[in-house]
Amino acid sequence: MNKNIGKLVMTLTIIGIISALSLAFVYEWTTPYIEKHAAKARESGIFEVVPEAESYEEVTKNGIKFYEGYKSGQRVGVALIEEGPGFQGMIKLMVGANPANGEIYGIKILEHEETPGLGANITTDSYKSNFEGKPFGEYDVIKRETSDPYQVEAIAGATISSEKVTRIVEDAVDKIQNAYGGGN
Amino acid sequence: MKQLIADFKNGLWKENPIIVLVIGMCPTLAVTNTAVNGLAMGLATSFVLISSEIVISLIKKLIPNDVRIPSYILIIATFVTFTDYFLKAFFPDIAASLSLFIPLIVVNCLILGRQEAFASKNPVHRSIADAVGMGLGFTWVLVALSIFRELLGMGSVFGIQLLGSWYQPMIIMILPAGAFISLGILIGVMNVISSREG
Repeated sequence: MNKNIGKLVMTLTIIGIISALSLAFVYEWTTPYIEKHAAKARESGIFEVVPEAESYEEVTKNGIKFYEGYKSGQRVGVALIEEGPGFQGMIKLMVGANPANGEIYGIKILEHEETPGLGANITTDSYKSNFEGKPFGEYDVIKRETSDPYQVEAIAGATISSEKVTRIVEDAVDKIQNAYGGGN
Repeated sequence: MKQLIADFKNGLWKENPIIVLVIGMCPTLAVTNTAVNGLAMGLATSFVLISSEIVISLIKKLIPNDVRIPSYILIIATFVTFTDYFLKAFFPDIAASLSLFIPLIVVNCLILGRQEAFASKNPVHRSIADAVGMGLGFTWVLVALSIFRELLGMGSVFGIQLLGSWYQPMIIMILPAGAFISLGILIGVMNVISSREG
């Protein structure tokens, strides 16, 4: 056994080195594509949640990255990526808001691992439209039709997912308010 | 040549990994909620299976018996990581919906099992035939299961809406419970067919 140990170590080392080398090449080859997709998703997200914007700029305030949307030199809104726990995995979403009148423009779900057919419905327009034009503040998730602007209508069968998204949006709104003011 | 065809056909039906050997259950139950996911998972697993069986049957004489399992896992993990990067770079939507299940191919017992049972004992050409057969056998069952579940659970197949608005989707079919129910039905049907042929 002892005589053999050198051979065993050598075998695993050699396989490890070859694996690492080939993966390094694959990594080099695929990373630009992966980054391009991420950037594209972010960019289309910004124009979706700040619909009036024609261009955007990355700004860091209070250590948080914001995307300011501009239309003919005028700042029309701010977008922010916020992440938090969902029902199953993490939910990553983008919130666009207008600090000038203290209202949310809209949200876009970037990544989630919610149950298909139930929680995954957080990506549907009928749920996302809940947040369009909402004033900054805290929201209640309710299971019937909403009657005041601080309420969010839950998805049938996915109350927890609806609740979690709402909490993440609240956090994002908080950060926008801290950095840009707006609302109460 | 006859031997190769027999090796190839083995995985498709007689020793089908899912319905006869009942291995690789984690992806079978977890990702077959839509047909696209099932197909992508089947192809990704087949790719890893074929490449690792080729490499392992080529270098099997160089690997000392005592470290064969860690060596196999290293080789499998390399191909899985490659698949993961590749899907993220060129099929980002599929990569997003399969997310964690791609890295988990490393521990799919179908792959390690075929290395132990076949690639480490047989020459390259037979290992390729075995891997292609097993890979296709795995893929067709995943696709069949996921078409069944997507149709009943969402009324669509490959994302194309087939059943009209009159159809009330059975949401249980795309949840884990639906996977167990449909897999049970599928294995039952296959057993009936095999016993009639038998």
